[in-house]
Amino acid sequence: MNESQPTPYEPKIVAFLCKWCSSAGSDLAGVSRIQYPANATPITVMCSGSVSPQYILSAFYKGADGVLVSGCHIGDCHYLEGNYYARRKLFLVNEMLQFIGIEPERFRMSWVSAAEGTKFAKVVKDFVEDLRHLGPQDKLKAQRP
Amino acid sequence: MIKLQDIKNRARELLANGEVRAVIGYRNGSRGMAAEPAVIADPNDAANIVWNPSCVHNLALYLVDDRKRLTRKQETPTKPIAIMAKGCDARAIVVLLQENYFKREDVYILGVSCETTGMLDEHKLEQLKIRPDQFTAVEFDGDDFVLIKDAETQQRFPAREIMADRCLECRNPFPKLNNAVFGEEKARNLAAPFSALMQFEQNATQNTRWDFWQHQFERCIRCSACRSVCPMCYCEECIVDSITYSVMPDTTAEEKANRIRWIERSATRANNIGYHLTRALHLAGRCIDCGECERVCPVRIPLRLLNTKLERDARERFGYEPGASVEVASFVSSFRDNDPGNFIR
Repeated sequence: MNESQPTPYEPKIVAFLCKWCSSAGSDLAGVSRIQYPANATPITVMCSGSVSPQYILSAFYKGADGVLVSGCHIGDCHYLEGNYYARRKLFLVNEMLQFIGIEPERFRMSWVSAAEGTKFAKVVKDFVEDLRHLGPQDKLKAQRP
Repeated sequence: MIKLQDIKNRARELLANGEVRAVIGYRNGSRGMAAEPAVIADPNDAANIVWNPSCVHNLALYLVDDRKRLTRKQETPTKPIAIMAKGCDARAIVVLLQENYFKREDVYILGVSCETTGMLDEHKLEQLKIRPDQFTAVEFDGDDFVLIKDAETQQRFPAREIMADRCLECRNPFPKLNNAVFGEEKARNLAAPFSALMQFEQNATQNTRWDFWQHQFERCIRCSACRSVCPMCYCEECIVDSITYSVMPDTTAEEKANRIRWIERSATRANNIGYHLTRALHLAGRCIDCGECERVCPVRIPLRLLNTKLERDARERFGYEPGASVEVASFVSSFRDNDPGNFIR
């Protein structure tokens, strides 16, 4: 390997995907053979509305460089209104993280429907790109002695 | 101007007539001029009630305690319990009612208006080299606080110089929800709402913010005083405190070991951030800015900044005012079609 060009930092992303849309969307990206970075670890949840702020903090605590929460588009929620609650709740999480000085790029939310495999690939790709510039996240990560 | 005798009389009447079980109020404490919370059950003790600038405590906390005690004893209250409530305390009671923590008829609110002043801040007194035990009493006097040592020695301060920040910024010093009220609803002009927060934001960039909060969170010793004093932190099982997880006789060691500990109890920076952010988020739309968490913090972390930040977001971005009405749905259990969503891709 060329020593003057260090390998770019590979960020770790934890992606909370709702079962009905975004998880299916990521599946579609896979079966359509769309190329996108493999940095995201998907965790399927029943609804984006079920994502507690605790999950996000916990992911950061365990060393995630970025956290993605993705659900159905507004109006398309399988449970009719779960993503409305998610929007309100995670708005606050986003504000709070920025308030204490966490880089705004580290937390991301997106609406990806089951038909939007390309969008999912783009969301992850953009996210990885932004996180590469930031480098490792050590503000919220547990420090080991 | 509130006549203290009126409050005493009303409390004595309520107790003597058997209308209430007890009155939660303030009496003189053992630390000089500082008042302390008191639960008064004997009509004769109603004479001990005080109302002065050292009545800082949010007594709604003791309603929660009372409720918990009754639940443990499996009792249903036959009579309400009375409580002296300032504007902020009354808002706290509104939030508890909103969440059905107890019923409206279980509580008798003796509203006390702060009128044009508020409560004093011991930290500000400390900067003036004054300790509460150097004085025997403190009184409201128009726009001043008078610290009294004895008949001859008194010290007078303009209230706004030694008043707590939360009182300076208070928008509602009048308890709107009440069964009886003392004092009036008066216009006041002290400090703009959220001024401490705005000042912090003016001076902070993203980097200095992190430096600031990192420093604050590293100092936290996780004594949980902020949680203990908060009337909204009433969960029996606290997600950030694994020793509160319920243990039944049939809970196996394996179950105990495998419980998810979202945040460890050790006072490391990352855990402390998790603790404080979780607490702030759990108080979103519920915190009524009584400022008790900041007051009791032994290492003086400016916790009000976190809470008022979310309070302001709720107000400005979602049009939600914590503690304004019992009827409306609580902040995070409701939504509107036009909630901000620009941050979502």
